[in-house]
Amino acid sequence: MDLENTKAQMRKGILEYCILSVLSKNSCYASDIIKELKEAKVIVVEGTLYPLLTRQKNGGLLSYRWEESQQGPPRKYYELTTEGREYLADLDNSWEELVESVKLIRKK
Amino acid sequence: MKITVSINLGGFSFNIDEDAYAELKRYLKNLELHFAGEESSSEILSDIESRMSELFRSKLTSYKQVINIGDVSDVISIMGNPADFSDNDGPSPKEKFSTPGAHRMYRDPDKRIIGGVCAGMGAYWDIEPWIIRGIFIALVMAGGLGVLVYLILYVVLPEAKTTAQKIEMKGDPVNIHNIKDSVKKEFDTVRKNMKL
Repeated sequence: MDLENTKAQMRKGILEYCILSVLSKNSCYASDIIKELKEAKVIVVEGTLYPLLTRQKNGGLLSYRWEESQQGPPRKYYELTTEGREYLADLDNSWEELVESVKLIRKK
Repeated sequence: MKITVSINLGGFSFNIDEDAYAELKRYLKNLELHFAGEESSSEILSDIESRMSELFRSKLTSYKQVINIGDVSDVISIMGNPADFSDNDGPSPKEKFSTPGAHRMYRDPDKRIIGGVCAGMGAYWDIEPWIIRGIFIALVMAGGLGVLVYLILYVVLPEAKTTAQKIEMKGDPVNIHNIKDSVKKEFDTVRKNMKL
């Protein structure tokens, strides 16, 4: 068994959920999201984020707007759409359920 | 002394050492191939380029004005290689990312008569599809086995949708030049058809 691979699979599974959670607090541009995900150690390489963001945007969960920046070119600020909020609420529930399930199994 | 190249990355201009430039170019080509099957791949690539541009800018000071190979390696290790971020919910990396020189059998939608199975086999072995169609027709005549075999192959073989897959089907090494050639060929065919 490959421990690193198993760990990576676990992280990948929750990454989508984490991105939506980060954005539920306020709208961010990609580098802010990366910073939070890195602090929480759920992302290893940054390249993982961009296809997910684009897919979530195409799926109607996110929208973005361009905002001027003082340090460089305009930045893409992502935020949750109404659909995205509902989607996240669903994921919140299933996350709670998962945590409960794992707890239950480990206690037995 | 080293020669530098001037590049535009994410709307910023950078001076970059020649060897670092070659490495960066190779990396971006790999990404392009990796995301070739993805919807909005150009958007993903431009987001990644913007981020890389931001990372490169943070490496420059008034004493250090040129991007070197170390900077490029750093930024690549931060961004990660395509193999590190292939994920589960998209098409599997095998399907969308073609390793150079790979040779796989696909259904060929461009030359199909029914489902492109014979055309795909023809492209794979580099023989005239009508020879294979002839064999299938003979099998059908000889008792209907041909239909079953055809149906199984239709289900098993994926359709060659992307340019990278079409090149893989014929077994040429996949690189940007090939894709360009192949796209150009398609354009020429369309142009010819328009004239007719």
